[in-house]
Amino acid sequence: MTYYLLVFVAGMAGSFHCIGMCGGFACALGAGPHGRGAALVRHLLYNTGRVATYAFLGVIAGSIGALAVAGHGQAPALGGSFDAAQRVLAIVAGLLMIVMALQLFGLLQRLHGMLVGFGGSTLVVALRSLLHARGPAAPLAFGVINGFLPCPLVYAFAAQAASTAAALPGFLTMAAFGLGTFPAMLLMGGIGRLLRPAWRQRGVWLAGSFILVLGLVTVGRGVLPLGEHGLHLAHQGLQP
Amino acid sequence: MTPGIAPAGGLCRQCLLPLGPRPMRRSIDGASHEFCCYGCCLAFQVGNGSGEESEATWLLVRLGIGGFLSMNIMMFSLLLYSGTFEHADAELLPWVHVLLWILATPVLVILGGPFLRDAWEGALRGRLTAATLIWVGVLAAYGSSAVSVLTGGTAVYFDTATMLLVLFTVGRYLEAAGRARAVRSLAPLLEAENQWATVVEAGSESRRPARDLPVGTSVRVRPGERFPVDGVVEDGMSHADEAVVTGESRSVAKSPGSMVIAGSVNLDGPLLVSVTRAGPATRWAQICGAVRESITQKSPAQRIVDQVAGAFVPVVLVIAIGTALVWAGSASFEEALLAGLAVLVVACPCGLGLAAGLAGSLGIARLASRGCLVRGGGILESLARVRAVAIDKTGTLTLGRPRLCGIETDGAETDEVLARAAGLERHSEHGLARGIAAAAETRGIRPVMAAEVRVIPGRGIRGVVEGAVAAAGTAAFMTELGWHLPERLRARAHDLEAKGHSLVYLGWGEQVRALLWLDDALRPDARATVEALGRLGLDVVLLTGDLPETARRAAGMAGIPSWHAALSPEDKKATLVRLRQRLGRVVMVGDGLNDGPVLAAADVGVAVGGATDLAREAADLVLPDDGLRLLPWVIQLGRAVRRTLVTSLAWAFGYNLVALALAASGLLQPILAAVLMASSSLIVILNSLRLERFPDPPANVVPPTPAPNAAGTLSNIPASAGT
Repeated sequence: MTYYLLVFVAGMAGSFHCIGMCGGFACALGAGPHGRGAALVRHLLYNTGRVATYAFLGVIAGSIGALAVAGHGQAPALGGSFDAAQRVLAIVAGLLMIVMALQLFGLLQRLHGMLVGFGGSTLVVALRSLLHARGPAAPLAFGVINGFLPCPLVYAFAAQAASTAAALPGFLTMAAFGLGTFPAMLLMGGIGRLLRPAWRQRGVWLAGSFILVLGLVTVGRGVLPLGEHGLHLAHQGLQP
Repeated sequence: MTPGIAPAGGLCRQCLLPLGPRPMRRSIDGASHEFCCYGCCLAFQVGNGSGEESEATWLLVRLGIGGFLSMNIMMFSLLLYSGTFEHADAELLPWVHVLLWILATPVLVILGGPFLRDAWEGALRGRLTAATLIWVGVLAAYGSSAVSVLTGGTAVYFDTATMLLVLFTVGRYLEAAGRARAVRSLAPLLEAENQWATVVEAGSESRRPARDLPVGTSVRVRPGERFPVDGVVEDGMSHADEAVVTGESRSVAKSPGSMVIAGSVNLDGPLLVSVTRAGPATRWAQICGAVRESITQKSPAQRIVDQVAGAFVPVVLVIAIGTALVWAGSASFEEALLAGLAVLVVACPCGLGLAAGLAGSLGIARLASRGCLVRGGGILESLARVRAVAIDKTGTLTLGRPRLCGIETDGAETDEVLARAAGLERHSEHGLARGIAAAAETRGIRPVMAAEVRVIPGRGIRGVVEGAVAAAGTAAFMTELGWHLPERLRARAHDLEAKGHSLVYLGWGEQVRALLWLDDALRPDARATVEALGRLGLDVVLLTGDLPETARRAAGMAGIPSWHAALSPEDKKATLVRLRQRLGRVVMVGDGLNDGPVLAAADVGVAVGGATDLAREAADLVLPDDGLRLLPWVIQLGRAVRRTLVTSLAWAFGYNLVALALAASGLLQPILAAVLMASSSLIVILNSLRLERFPDPPANVVPPTPAPNAAGTLSNIPASAGT
């Protein structure tokens, strides 16, 4: 449980990053003509769509992890023995997270451009025309597509979800992350204006630190020459 | 009769490629459009959606909702597969199945609708389309799952049914978007007919279709805009990029009085232009017509691929059913169903149909952006396999304009000779006469006034200069006049004639006073071009109807090792046939005016000289004026197009076959199969996109106008004066 709380908090810190990136969309969605209640419903729908996409990515990532570790059809037991395949998976996922964290600190700009630029423009074109659509379904659709926008945070937690090597923990990891971003994005209209850029920057660094630590721990799970028991003890709180 | 602009039909509204065998027509936001596929229809709506009620928005909402439902179904299903609902929660299982059914049904309607319509329209025309395959697969998965839920079974595949629809919709959209990006460079070459112009009338501006503008209308063209009409600059200073029309890569300065060409781009200043030609009369419109014609023309490779792809669908249906039956014999019903579905999904021949057309169109667009027009994508493929280049001399390797090389006099001053000769010859339109007049002009010599000028065809010209009869022309003309030819000039003339020069005798006062010799100047870029062709591993041969001596000298100056002289058009054709036997495929380069039969006899006929009217010419490829230097680049581009085509086809064929084998052997989940198919198409597009990065031809280092040349060489060969 501690693990999912940690991911939730990382998601909350990470939502400072979201305010910079996706916050613009959320703001544009906010100004509803039908009063506060309607606006709240719109935002709830938008965020539900977004979190649904993250959760979906989590399940997929977890399943891919499971496939990579044990071949298809067999889900490994949670917290079970660490064989070679699991170690490799943990190292790869951890390294990916570390790379994403470094990006949040403003390093590796070229890679960032590649990741965000790929497919991003096509999605943004689609999103723009959805912004002003009427009807209750539009914000949900908007959130779903928004969730697929290239984002280092999402990639980092998807990598973490994959390292859990099972569908359910993968789902829970990304859902926890998504729920963590929920409050800030929901209050986007208010907070976005209150927070000064310097604070936002600190929030992004905080998120980066979380991901860096998580990535190091994940890599550690693959690298550290501890036996099954010792490893379990060392990271008791961090095991999903 | 020039070919008018082809009707707007024939090309997809979104990706600008030919409509293909399965076009579709949809009316979007009130206007009717034609598309080559469902993906292009999607991409067009998304890209052009504006306003709250547009269909694009509605489409995206549908996609989003369909995606939301499908993702939830997928999540529950993956949790099911991973055993989350076993053991303690087993009693929940039937309810989860019902929930999945409830979620899946709207997806079938929302995302499956367009595919169903496509399949139905195909069926009405008696065709099985890829959409039919998708629907058979989706219905099989959905139907069997529904039966399973009702009978309390566990074989529930609502996730497969809905995910197939989502993946195919998104895959088609991405494919179309990628294709549109790939052929973006075609757009300026096809839009001549729907250009609008800003008309300035009585101080006010209005937007009007450019094709209806009468001559003399004032049109404002802002920086960055394309000139919608041919015209003359009335006001303003700017530069223009005319590469699309003339192939000239440098910008051209424009000031009041300059001509501007429709289709070129105004670069840095606003211009007021008076219309001289608009609509189909402009060369741009003719280029657009030719480009449109050439991309709708199918290359042999494309035709074969289309036939194969057309036969694919029924064959795949049979293989899928066969796979399911074979598996049903040895394994469970579920495994048989999934294997059959995977085959249906994986064999969608999208990437295959894409490869040939895309590479050819990209090549045509690259050529046209430099003013080179080609008759169909197949020509590029042939160019890639050419082994030898035969070049015609006059007008192709040379400028086709005689240039004064030297003057031999019998005591008179050369400047006086040139002044008198020019005074007579400027009244004549003969090529030699123009060469002499031009030489006087470039040396700054004022022609002496001549009176009572008469042109004697085939002989020369005579008139009265400074009170005495003067004449310029052939030796026979001088003899007829009874004028004495000094021995010194006679000997020199004999010498020069043997070297293949053209001679003009000039006399006055009852005596021949001077001998002028002229030669056809080599194009400034001829030597560099021949060297570049040699570096490409091509044999270059000079073919000419001129005397051997002339041919030898021209070949020597251009660096061509092998030449054939004194050839009649029939001889040229015969020589071409021999060259082909000895060397392989031959491309023939001519000026396209009088060597039509020879060009037609070659594997690829290339005309230099901006003749855009492909229908009238026998040429397969037309290069702009001064476009000889582009030939090596064009051949390299042809090779690149062929390489792209071959690799794309090999990839698409190989990928389809391997995936088909995997699917039939039950190793591929249907959803994974759908992902593989979409990625196959994207890889073909990415491979073709590399053609966009094919380097531009080197800039023209030699000024295109021949004037400095004519002056330069005359001073290099000093005129010799007699004693």
